[in-house]
Amino acid sequence: MKILVTAKRVEDPESKIKVKPDGSGIVQEGLKYKINPFDEIGVEEGLRLVAKHQGEVVVVSIGGKEVQEQLRHALAMGAHRAVWVNHTGPVDQLGIAALLQKVVEKEQPDLVILGKQSIDDDQNQVGQYLAEFLGWGQATFASKVESMESEQEKNKVPAIVLTADKKSVQVIREVDNGLATVECQLPAVVTTDLRLNQPRYASLPGIMKAKSKPIEELTPAKLSVDVTPAIQVLKMSSPPARKAGIKVADVPALVEKLHNEAKVV
Amino acid sequence: MTTAPRPNPLLSDRDVDFQLYEVLDATSLCALPAFAEHSRDTFTLLLDSTRRFAREVLYPTYRDMDAQPPSFRDGRVHVHPLMRELYPRLVELGLLTATRPPDVGGQQLPLTVHAVSTAYLMAANLNVYAWLGLTLGAAHLLEVFGTPEVKATFMEPMYRGEWTGTMALTEPQAGSSLADVRTRATPAPDGSWRIQGSKIFISGADQDFSENVVHLTLARIEGAEGGTRGISLFAVPSRRPEGGTLVDNDVRVAGVIHKIGWKGIPSLALNYGESGDCHGWLVGPPGRGLACMFQMMNEARIMVGMNGVATATVAYHEAVAYARERPQGRPTGVRDATRPQTPIIEHADVRRMLLRQKAIVEGGLSLLLAASYQADLAGHGQDEATRQRAGLLVDLLTPVAKSFPAERGFEANALAVQVHGGYGYSSEYLPEAWLRDQKLNSIHEGTTGIQGLDLLGRKVVAGGGAALQSFAEEVGTTVARARAAGVTPEWGEALEQALAETTTVVTELGARGMSGEVELMLRHSADFLELFSVLAVAWRWLAQAAAAKEALGRGAPDADFYEGKLAAAQYWFAVELPRVPLLARLCRTGEDSYARMRPEWF
Repeated sequence: MKILVTAKRVEDPESKIKVKPDGSGIVQEGLKYKINPFDEIGVEEGLRLVAKHQGEVVVVSIGGKEVQEQLRHALAMGAHRAVWVNHTGPVDQLGIAALLQKVVEKEQPDLVILGKQSIDDDQNQVGQYLAEFLGWGQATFASKVESMESEQEKNKVPAIVLTADKKSVQVIREVDNGLATVECQLPAVVTTDLRLNQPRYASLPGIMKAKSKPIEELTPAKLSVDVTPAIQVLKMSSPPARKAGIKVADVPALVEKLHNEAKVV
Repeated sequence: MTTAPRPNPLLSDRDVDFQLYEVLDATSLCALPAFAEHSRDTFTLLLDSTRRFAREVLYPTYRDMDAQPPSFRDGRVHVHPLMRELYPRLVELGLLTATRPPDVGGQQLPLTVHAVSTAYLMAANLNVYAWLGLTLGAAHLLEVFGTPEVKATFMEPMYRGEWTGTMALTEPQAGSSLADVRTRATPAPDGSWRIQGSKIFISGADQDFSENVVHLTLARIEGAEGGTRGISLFAVPSRRPEGGTLVDNDVRVAGVIHKIGWKGIPSLALNYGESGDCHGWLVGPPGRGLACMFQMMNEARIMVGMNGVATATVAYHEAVAYARERPQGRPTGVRDATRPQTPIIEHADVRRMLLRQKAIVEGGLSLLLAASYQADLAGHGQDEATRQRAGLLVDLLTPVAKSFPAERGFEANALAVQVHGGYGYSSEYLPEAWLRDQKLNSIHEGTTGIQGLDLLGRKVVAGGGAALQSFAEEVGTTVARARAAGVTPEWGEALEQALAETTTVVTELGARGMSGEVELMLRHSADFLELFSVLAVAWRWLAQAAAAKEALGRGAPDADFYEGKLAAAQYWFAVELPRVPLLARLCRTGEDSYARMRPEWF
C-alpha cells in the first residue's frame, strides 16, 4: 500500500504572531514553524496503515527550502521518502491542489491523506479540491476518540480500515451529531480531524535515520502547473479586540436587547 | 485583557534556544568528528520530541504519581500502574543510548543537548525519568568496565530498556563514608561471586514494570584490605539468567523507605544472599570499585544538578503564571477600594521573588550547559590538550553544578510556594510537591558538605592550579565578550575582582593545607562552595548579558526576552556577587564560631 501524506509548514501557534502594519502579511521574523498538526496526524495514520499492510509513506510539502524541516520531521517519525515541490511565490488553495494532483499522478498512491485544514489560515479546501481534480472518492474529517494511547488502544478498530478485498477503505468521520462510517473505493482522498490519533514522537534513532532518506525536488514548472493565484489577498488585520460587556438589570431588559440590538430573538 | 491560561511550559523553549545557540555555540560541537552526524536540525527535532513528550504525556501524570507511591506487597514492590506504559515510551525516544557510540546502539549525541532534553522530562515528572537516569548510569558503567560477557548479559538488556539498573553503594553504616562498606563477595567455582550483605536507600531497586533489575553493587572481596582500596564493583541482578531463563538471585527487599519526595520511585533496603545464593559478577579490577564509580561521578552529578534546575524551573513557571492571574490588593498608594484588585505580579516584592527564581533557574541552567559543553570537549575534543583542559574544567565545575541548583533551587522552590501564598502551602497546588522533591538533590550523589570538600580539597587545587587557571581564562573570554557587546563594564570588572579574590583565597588555603593545617584549610569548605557558586553563576549571567546585548544591538525581535535577561543579570551582580568578599573573609580568617563550638554546648 502506498500512501501520500502532506506536510505543510505552518507558524507555531506558540509564537507571537503579529500582522504587519501595512496589512500585507504577518511579521515573519522571530517566528517558529512546525508541521501542520492535522498533517502530522495524517503521517501517523499513514505509518500505522503501512505497518499493518506493508508499503510506504511518501510525504509531500510545497514551499521554499525551509519546508525540508517539516519533511525531515515526517521522515524522522518514520515516513519512507519525501517529495519537495520547490516554490516560493504566492499560491492559493487551487494551485496547491493542482500541484498535488500532478504529484499524485506521478506517484500513483493508493491513498492520499491530508490534514482537513492547516492551522495557519484554516481554509479546509485542498483535500476536497484534490479529490475533485483527481475524480477520486473522498472521506473528510476522519476521526476517532483516543485517550492516552496504550497498546490496547492502538489495537482497537482504527478510523481508517482497509477492506478485506483491499479495494476500498472504511472511514469513521466526525459529523455534527457524532460519528459516521463511510466506505470509499481506492484510490481515495482522506482528510484528518484532530481526534484521529495521537502522533508518535520522533525518536533519536528515527531522527538520525531520516538524514539519509531521500527528498526528491520538483517545481511547478517541472509539474507543468501554473500556480498564478486566482485569489488575491487584499489585506490582513488582527481581529478587533473584544469590547467590555455590560450588565442588564433584569430578564426583560436582556430580552429587549437580544431582540432589538443583537436581533437574535 | 485576559487570555486562556497556558499549560506549564516546564522550561522556556526560548531560553533553551538562547542558551544553546546564543550564549553557547552548541552547533560548533558538530565540527568534532565524534558529533559529525549531528547538526542543529537533529538537535531541534530531538528537543521537539522530548519537550512534547514531557508536556503532553509525562506532566499530566505527575500529581497522581506523587499521590500514589509504590506499595510493598508479598515481598515485591508494585509501582504506579502507569509506569508499565510510560517507561517503554520514554525508552522509545532513544535517550537511554543517545550519548553512547553506535557500537552499543547509540547516536553519539552531545551531552549538552542530551542534558537539556532530559531537563524537560525531569521537570515534567522526575518520578518517571529517574528510572531511565539510573538505568543509563548503571549500563554506562558496564559499558566502560564490564567484560564482554557481563556487557552482553546485563548492559544490553538495560540499554534496550528491558531491564532497569541501580547504584547500590549505601549501607546503614556507610553513607557518605563509603570506605566503611561491609557487603562481602566470595569467589565461586564458576568464576562468579557470592554476595552477602545489606544496602539501604537504593532507588529503584525493585519494580513490576519490567522483568529484571541489575544492581551495580559495591562489596568487599573476602580478605581484601580495609578502607576504599578494598572495595570492588559487582553487577548483581535481582534475577539471574540460568539455563535460558531468569531465576531468583536471592536479592530481597527488606523494606521500603517512606519519603517526602520522588515518591514515584521507591527507595529500598536490600538484603543480598540471605540464603547464600546471590550471584554477582565482578566489574573492573578487584579493589577498584570506587575508582570505577568515581569515573562516572561527573555525569551522575551533572544529572542531579540538572534535576535541581528542572525541579526549580517548573515551579518558577507555575509561580509566574499564578502571579499574572491572581488579583490581590492595589498598587502602592491607591486606596480606592472600588478599583479592581491588581494581579500580584504588579507588586514589587512579588517581582523580587520571581526575579530571584529566574536568576537561580536560568543561571543554573547556563552553568549546567557550560559544564556539559566542557564534558563534551573533554570526551571528544580535537586534541589531547583541549580534552585535558576541558576535563579539568568539568571536574572543577561539577561540585558547583551539582550543589548550586540543589541548594538555591530549593530556595527558588520555596519562593514559588511563597508566591502562591496560602494556596502554595496547600497540597491542592503543586509547588509544595516540587519543594519536597527538590530537597533530595542536596543529599544524594554526595551531599552539599561532600561537594564543598571535593571542591576545596581536590578540585580548585587540581593540576597545580591549572583547573583554576583555565576557569580564569574562560571568565576572561566572557568579560571581553561582554565589554565588546556593550554590557555595563562594572559587571565585568566586579567579576574579575571576585575571581582575583577567590584565587587569593585558594592560594592561602592551599598553603595551609601544604603546611599540614588541613582542618583550618577545609573549615569553611561550605562557604567556599557558596563563594565559588556565586562567582560561577555570575560568570554565566555575564555571558547571558553579553548575548542579550548582542541581540538587542542587531535589532533582534523579542526585545522583552533580552531585557528580562539583562534585569536578571543586574540582579545577580547587585545582590549576589557582593557577597564574595564576606565569604572570602570567612574562608581566609578561618572564623571559628562553629569550629570552637563543643557538642555539649548545643
